Amino acid sequence: MDGHENEDVGFQHGGEDNLHCPSLGMSTNPLPEKISGMIMSSVSMYKPSNGADPFFSSGWDPLASLSQNENFGGSSTVSHSEFANPPYPIALENQGTSSTCQLVRYPSNSSFVELVQKLPCFGSGSFSEMANSFGLPDCGQIANSGCPQNYASLKESGTGITSTNGVLSRDDPQISCEGAIGSSPDAKKRKRASDSKNSPVTHQNAEGELQKDLSRESSDVLKEPDEKKPKIEHSKGSNLRGKQTGKQAKDTSSGDASRENYIHVRARRGQATNSHSLAERVRREKISERMRLLQELVPGCNKITGKAVMLDEIINYVQSLQQQVEFLSMKLATVNPELNIDIEQILSKDIINSRGGVGAILGFAPGMSSSHGYPRGIFQGTFPSIPSTTPKYPLLPQTVLDNELQNLFQAGFNSCPAVDNLGSNGNLKPEFQ
Amino acid sequence: MNPRRSISSNPASTVKSRFTNGFLQALLRINRQRITSTTAYTPREIFRGYLRVKIAADVSMASAIGSRRAWSRAILRKVRSHGRDGAQVRRMSFLAMRKRNLYGNIKCVEDAGFHQANVLRKLVPGGEAMDMCCLLGETAHYIKCLKTQVKVMGRIAEVFST
Repeated sequence: MDGHENEDVGFQHGGEDNLHCPSLGMSTNPLPEKISGMIMSSVSMYKPSNGADPFFSSGWDPLASLSQNENFGGSSTVSHSEFANPPYPIALENQGTSSTCQLVRYPSNSSFVELVQKLPCFGSGSFSEMANSFGLPDCGQIANSGCPQNYASLKESGTGITSTNGVLSRDDPQISCEGAIGSSPDAKKRKRASDSKNSPVTHQNAEGELQKDLSRESSDVLKEPDEKKPKIEHSKGSNLRGKQTGKQAKDTSSGDASRENYIHVRARRGQATNSHSLAERVRREKISERMRLLQELVPGCNKITGKAVMLDEIINYVQSLQQQVEFLSMKLATVNPELNIDIEQILSKDIINSRGGVGAILGFAPGMSSSHGYPRGIFQGTFPSIPSTTPKYPLLPQTVLDNELQNLFQAGFNSCPAVDNLGSNGNLKPEFQ
Repeated sequence: MNPRRSISSNPASTVKSRFTNGFLQALLRINRQRITSTTAYTPREIFRGYLRVKIAADVSMASAIGSRRAWSRAILRKVRSHGRDGAQVRRMSFLAMRKRNLYGNIKCVEDAGFHQANVLRKLVPGGEAMDMCCLLGETAHYIKCLKTQVKVMGRIAEVFST
């Protein structure tokens, strides 16, 4: 998968209409150091360096290079890890007094504490052993050290997620310390005090823990601390990345509501702070984040507020795109080119490099700026040489390869039912297997 | 980081290029078959040809994406299991819904967007088994791929028509 990650940059050069990408990229360029946690998060959603989606690649290249150069940006290198690890060097130390700032970590921390306590190896007595086994400075040093020191050591790991895991492993002793002190909700309060000191570390810790907590796979959490002990760095990072999908990785970073430049989930005043509702809020924020991204993808949705209306627009857009594909495939089915092997190669190069819009063929602006501009009516009018079957096409199901195709075929033509199978089986398998 | 850039500069490995190549090959194959058959212009034959091209477009796009995305995996799965009967397909969708409810939050009807979410699930391949969050992510990627598909197919049609 890594091989495919940035190879698709070329795709972006085809003149994609991702107009928002460059603008967003520019706007975030001035903020690399501080983290534009939220912006980078929304940006890195489809960042090619993630290996997730190639389409915004050229637009995001500056960001990608930035994030890759920055250590904290390592999180963006995680596939589907949409939110960069913010650099907490400065701001976190200031927030020791904030009463609500650390609430984000509590649900995950408390659950993690419980899990950690289950591990026999983590005991308050063996804390120093653990710290030494990790080959790290002891807890106190970690707590007081500035971020750069952590990052310097983390840089060796090579990936941000690895650094997260590395930090997470280092945090285990700290958590076990606190867990030993009070394995109760009181641990939250004590963690608050220590969190302010351990802010750079626990922030990543919180992210890692939120990853685990929200993944609802506690087995992962139990496994990973154990695994981290023997080997701190690289492999665990990749394992963690492999285990956790984009959804969970996003949870970690989205789980941190923004405090200054960072993403934090803050239990707002008057809201419940138990782990379930916080997880719910994290999930809702994730969904709203994706809705915002979709809003950028679908043209003409900048002013729409509201989930239902937005979903309607998305549905309309997907339907219209699918209908365009059907229309074009119908057109290609009727056209009969002079076939030649060379033509194919020339064509492919030409098509890949061409930046021409499709408007010339479909008879409308490819941008489709208006939300009601999906020219479904146009399709009906321009079907070549098949006027008798025109009324059938708007009824075509939107899904491909359904058995409904067979029914439709029968409804349309009273043809023999085996034709559809013939058409598909006879052609598809040799073509695409 | 640099290796990624060098890979990206290789034009043969972008999604768009993979899709283009695969789709063109499929088109040529379909056309060769069509030429050999005599009755190529009845509505029935045209509809069959249309279906083949449409399936070819979707499968070549899914192959270009590979297994990275749930929707591409769903399309490839459907192609490979096309011979199964409808009962099995329905059973699989039921299991998919159970899986979705297990891992995702069950949203009740009163939630805003419940009905639309169901519609979207039917539109996006493989959407049955996804909770809202994954569904939105897959939808975004799917929209991008559909845009690519439309562009490439339009360009091909343009070239073939001249």
